[in-house]
Amino acid sequence: MSVKENLKKILIEGLNLEDITVDDIQDDMPLFGEGLGLDSLDVVELIVLVQKHFGVEIKDMEEGRPALQTVNTLADFIEKRRAA
Amino acid sequence: MPAAERGSAGWSSRSVGSRLQHRIFYLLIGLGGRRPAYALLYLVVLYYVLFRPSLRRRSYPYLRRRFPRQPPRLVDSFRMSLALGQVLVDRATVGILGPAALRVGLEGRKELIDLVAEGRGLILMTAHVGCWQVAMSAFDFLQAPVNLLLQREDGDIDRHYFEHAGIESPYRIIDPRGFLGGTLEMIAALKRGEVLSVMGDRMLGNDRNGIEADFLGAPVRFPYSAYKLASATGAPVAILLSAKTGPDVYALRLCSVLRVPAGLGRKAADFAPFAARFAEILEQYCGEHPYQFFNFFDLWEPSPASPANARSRK
Repeated sequence: MSVKENLKKILIEGLNLEDITVDDIQDDMPLFGEGLGLDSLDVVELIVLVQKHFGVEIKDMEEGRPALQTVNTLADFIEKRRAA
Repeated sequence: MPAAERGSAGWSSRSVGSRLQHRIFYLLIGLGGRRPAYALLYLVVLYYVLFRPSLRRRSYPYLRRRFPRQPPRLVDSFRMSLALGQVLVDRATVGILGPAALRVGLEGRKELIDLVAEGRGLILMTAHVGCWQVAMSAFDFLQAPVNLLLQREDGDIDRHYFEHAGIESPYRIIDPRGFLGGTLEMIAALKRGEVLSVMGDRMLGNDRNGIEADFLGAPVRFPYSAYKLASATGAPVAILLSAKTGPDVYALRLCSVLRVPAGLGRKAADFAPFAARFAEILEQYCGEHPYQFFNFFDLWEPSPASPANARSRK
């Protein structure tokens, strides 16, 4: 399973997104606000989930802001971190 | 100066006084200290309470709950507004004349030092009571950077004590209107073992993440983001409230330390016991200091449930 697919699955299960399937989440769909509809508190859980499932830590705003835009950007961030 | 204007979120940090009125107070403090400023304050508050009924009425929701056996009285509204005005004068006094102008006692100093030494960050939860800024000016002993979640509105002319003193802010301000409500910055600060100061009694502008807890006899929506941060980072939550206990004396008290278990997830209900404990402490405070509660809006007014929250947080 690709990082993107895995990430979508983790988002749905970890954040208890009801009535949403992996197919409903587009790669370039914004994670927060319009799009997937996550809000500021969800980022706490999301950071914990990314660390737990991928072993990647989002340390601060500089890293987090570009990474936490879409599934694409977050998956890229995870892949780059794991490759480093 | 004595009260705040109401905004779209139900409250506003903006002063009702004009820039000129503020300057007059600052001038009096600079020339003669607190006393002449207090003297003028009595007249100003009296004017607002007598001739600005719309401002006076903002104290009524709290007064009705705090003193349920009687309708809100002018004298109670006056005392509440005067107490806020005095706190603002004191805050300016610290900035203009220096920290020695006030005495600040702290109960729980060693416990706070020990909490910071745990290295998991510390969430200092306070409320709009007493003078939290005076409290902040006394945190040097913690020997850890202090971050403050603070929503400052455009056009707010009220100065913080460090702005009066012309010094750099002793704490780093995190704006909840920033990217993701400043959550990333808050997590980063706690991971660095720093102190994060938050207000536990008000929902911030775009923060829909509240949970109800009984406060003075009826449910109030309190924010629970701090408890969620504590669960995610392992940081303890120290509830610290301040009160003016004498003309130039403030008492800071560590009321309780909350340990939020890790992995509580995202259901609001899981954080309800912590909000309830905070509400209980706040109620106790209001019993002891009935006129030092500075939320001049209707906390008990039901807020429409967010569709997003209704979908996934119940």
